[in-house]
Amino acid sequence: MIKISLDPRTKLFMIFAVSFIVMVNAITPLEWSIRIMVTLIPILLLVTEGKYASAFRFTVFYGAALLLLKYCISESSTGIFSAILVGYCGIVAQFLPAMITAWYVIRTTKIGEFMSAMQKMHVPDGISISLAVVMRFFPTIKEEYSSINDAMKMRGISLGGGKVTKMIEYRMIPLMFSCISIGEELSAAAVTRGLGAPVKRTSPYELKMKATDFIMIGIFAVSVIIFITAKYFR
Amino acid sequence: MIEIKNVDFQYKGSEEAGLHDVSLSIKDGETILLCGASGCGKTTITRLINGLIPHYYKGELSGSVTVSDRDIAQTELYDLASVVGTVFQNPRSQFFAVDTDGEITFGTENIGLPPAEICRRKAEVVNELELEALLEKSLFALSGGEKQKIACASVSALMPEIIILDEPSSNLDWKAIGELKNVIRKWKENGKTIIISEHRLWYLKDLVDRVVFLENGKIVHEWNKNEFSSLTSEELQQYGLRPIKLEEKYIREFGGEMFSPESRSSDTTFEKAVTIRDMYFTYKPQKYVLFRKKLTAESSDKYTISIPKLRLPQGSVTGLIGRNGAGKSTFLRCLCGLEKSCPVKLDIDNESISGKGILKKCYMVMQDVNHQLFTDSVEAEVLLSMKSEDKEYADKLIAELGLAGFENTHPMALSGGQKQRTAICSALAANAEILLFDEPTSGLDHRHMKIVGGLLRKLAERGKTVIVSTHDPELISLCCQYLMCLENGRIKYFRKV
Repeated sequence: MIKISLDPRTKLFMIFAVSFIVMVNAITPLEWSIRIMVTLIPILLLVTEGKYASAFRFTVFYGAALLLLKYCISESSTGIFSAILVGYCGIVAQFLPAMITAWYVIRTTKIGEFMSAMQKMHVPDGISISLAVVMRFFPTIKEEYSSINDAMKMRGISLGGGKVTKMIEYRMIPLMFSCISIGEELSAAAVTRGLGAPVKRTSPYELKMKATDFIMIGIFAVSVIIFITAKYFR
Repeated sequence: MIEIKNVDFQYKGSEEAGLHDVSLSIKDGETILLCGASGCGKTTITRLINGLIPHYYKGELSGSVTVSDRDIAQTELYDLASVVGTVFQNPRSQFFAVDTDGEITFGTENIGLPPAEICRRKAEVVNELELEALLEKSLFALSGGEKQKIACASVSALMPEIIILDEPSSNLDWKAIGELKNVIRKWKENGKTIIISEHRLWYLKDLVDRVVFLENGKIVHEWNKNEFSSLTSEELQQYGLRPIKLEEKYIREFGGEMFSPESRSSDTTFEKAVTIRDMYFTYKPQKYVLFRKKLTAESSDKYTISIPKLRLPQGSVTGLIGRNGAGKSTFLRCLCGLEKSCPVKLDIDNESISGKGILKKCYMVMQDVNHQLFTDSVEAEVLLSMKSEDKEYADKLIAELGLAGFENTHPMALSGGQKQRTAICSALAANAEILLFDEPTSGLDHRHMKIVGGLLRKLAERGKTVIVSTHDPELISLCCQYLMCLENGRIKYFRKV
């Protein structure tokens, strides 16, 4: 399989374009087809990364949601079952494409590349560093959260003794404590290595927009324009 | 040249011990070891030198600190970045990037070196510290030893004249410590000034030029290299330090086998035993579309953990050793039933349990004990574990573990050792039969290590089955009756100590 490596700037644009098109309500067949097409691109990108299983699973869920939306649910459907169904389809059709795009971008972008891209776009260091810290923190929070969950399982309090408030309290308090202490140590380690120096940060990554980047940006830009015209200017 | 003159320091808003009238001068190219009990001020001294005090950790500071003719109080941290480099204790919280390459170049990017220079320095550091195999990897996929090497590389790339290491070996196995030692030796050969704060002394004894001993925030003793290596075990113990020779002897004894190709097993017949069956686990499960496949014995050669059958002695302490990444933590997780895909079964007291039942019988005290304290007081913590709240029994347990008087203290306000004991208390209250400890002594000084050792023995005497994973040979000799070694998730040997 050919690997397509995109410039972080293209990826950022892709996130914005996909989220916009997917979140805005689509009604006409044209809008729907743009929406589906735009969702297929991140799926294909996942396939090029070798994530066949995730791509397939996502396609199945997404396809099911679309079919259900089209054939089983109408505005007149009532009852708890169809309410759940509407909820499920709404989440899958409206949020999952954006989430899968973001997931793809986070998986395939190195923090160094990302910072370099931000510099090229003349984003202030303060903003790009904070965003980089957020990217760095996701896996950490996930790790911490799962250890806390494990500890709760061992104590038999995963369900907080039946109380929702306790369930949240037992998870959030240790999580906050450990995130604060990790954050503090992390920034101590970063400032001793010169973070915050009043010089322009540099980067060893030479970023260059390639043909694939321009094609990709072109596709998304055209989709967004058609979508907006179709929706608001007719 | 580092000059610390009459420094007094007290952390602001914290009872963390500070420093009292500390003066220390360190010549260029010297290697200094700072030692002493936990909380004696070792780390505080390192923070004076790298500028984290007064710029990052606030407090009342008097006296002066000069490093290479710079007055630290007047120098910004980023200006110090290429003068003083620091390797911290905890690899988890000192990485900024998520990939190895980005981490190595992080500092050089910050100070704005031209891209060509960054690449040149990276190549140089990679070559010097032999890191080729680690490039282009996720930091989250590295073992403790590998992480610490990347941390060293990241500091090295800034080419500081002074390098500080704050308890760098806490999470490392014996072989990884050897590699760390090589890195330090290379730095020393290149003429760097090195300051190490450490509890484990044996690996440093032929590297250091001078040893500084601290007590309650004061410098109490200084030894040169020869004086230090002629100290007897008793003298070291009097100072609350780890006996070097003893530790080396244990490492030869336990480590020799650990790394030797032949495995041996001795008699492992015990009257009462907990039998583990079908412990299989893999981090790379077969790709699945909608349903996970069950793990079975057939393809077990590909698994991360594969232990068809193992008997563990009931009512005694079993030490679990193995290299970083050998599967010790995973073994413990499987044993307590935390890995859902692991089909493990346990036979205890003629009763066979599996699945969720295991979670009730086993309790693991995690390496980061903060993760398992949930309530707002020690007593509530213990009561939470009980099926029906029995205050009297809870108080009895609390007193037995030496926590009397702390019943109403918030667990987060306790010291590390007290937190550990609170966790053990709640395990006992939950009536767990098998108690697992994941490196309970990493980063502890000699005195606290001994306390933990005594505690583990006591638990075994109560009839609990205790398994402790550790890199600490003294702890093994102190409390373990049996020893098992893991390699690649398989039992290498199981024997009596």
